[in-house]
Amino acid sequence: MRIRDTERVANAIQVLKGGRSLDALVDRLYDITEGSLALDRATLHRIARGRTQVARSIDTPEDCIRLYFALMIIGCEEGLPATSVVEEGHAVLTGFVGEPLAGLIFRDLSGTVAKLQDRRALKAYLEEGVRVWLPK
Amino acid sequence: MAAEVIRDVPMKAESNTLRAFEERLREHLDDTLHVNTRFADLGSTRAFLVSPADRDRPKGLVIDQRATAAERIYLYVHTAAHIALGHNMPLITIVEGEDNEAADGLRHDQADRLARAMWWRRGSPEMVSSLPSAQRSRLLRPLLAHAATRSALHLILRGMRTVLYGSGLVRMAGNGRITTWLRQALAATAVVDAAPQLAER
Repeated sequence: MRIRDTERVANAIQVLKGGRSLDALVDRLYDITEGSLALDRATLHRIARGRTQVARSIDTPEDCIRLYFALMIIGCEEGLPATSVVEEGHAVLTGFVGEPLAGLIFRDLSGTVAKLQDRRALKAYLEEGVRVWLPK
Repeated sequence: MAAEVIRDVPMKAESNTLRAFEERLREHLDDTLHVNTRFADLGSTRAFLVSPADRDRPKGLVIDQRATAAERIYLYVHTAAHIALGHNMPLITIVEGEDNEAADGLRHDQADRLARAMWWRRGSPEMVSSLPSAQRSRLLRPLLAHAATRSALHLILRGMRTVLYGSGLVRMAGNGRITTWLRQALAATAVVDAAPQLAER
């Protein structure tokens, strides 16, 4: 996948990872996606620092969506406000797949987030989304 | 997946009869409607149903871990009603919150009307067999219809249960018709008390 706006994606990842190190972030992404996202440390470091436009290990829209969900789950775990989690998650997805497709994917989320009362519900929703929408 | 998600049924000191009905209904949802249920801390959201892109794949129902067995039973019947009405569109999530939007409110009202019909033994045979048979009682239905009589009945049945168990009479009576009816009546009353939407109007 070619990243469209490297700086914005890097910034979004930095916000969503909160206080975690990039190494800890890779481990958590692996756990959340149950190993289905083959993102190596070196690639994530380059993406998170805005130093690459090419993410070879994320080469399908499904991988992008997995990364999008997983990063938002981490944002919830880091205690970010729900609006910030959604905004930064959207920036990551748009950076990978472009706005028309990101908008389509984002449609249910944006409709649902308005109804979820807080971050705990958002996190549970994202986790269920990974299970139901992105089965291994 | 995140370790924080509670996959098992929340353990609370609740009536075994209620929990047995809750488990049977949950199994019915899983077997017949392909709804996998999980429990998690949802804050002030009560539950949500996530529908997959492909209708043949399992749906995910997540319920707040603080919901009682009676509330969970209501949410299962309400979810079954949403599914029967075709509200579970692919990739659309149905949220059961405190303040539903107007458009959602209409769908939840429709689901509640159907849930009420299902609850009073007009659902599928599998659903009906999962519910307390005491609901057939002509005595119970009018008493559960009004908040005042419902609360009084709940109180009386709980009192009777305390006396029956406290005095050891329940051991002597065993699982006879009367004790079974009382247990089921208490379970049905607890559910309608927790979800007055199920009361006949």
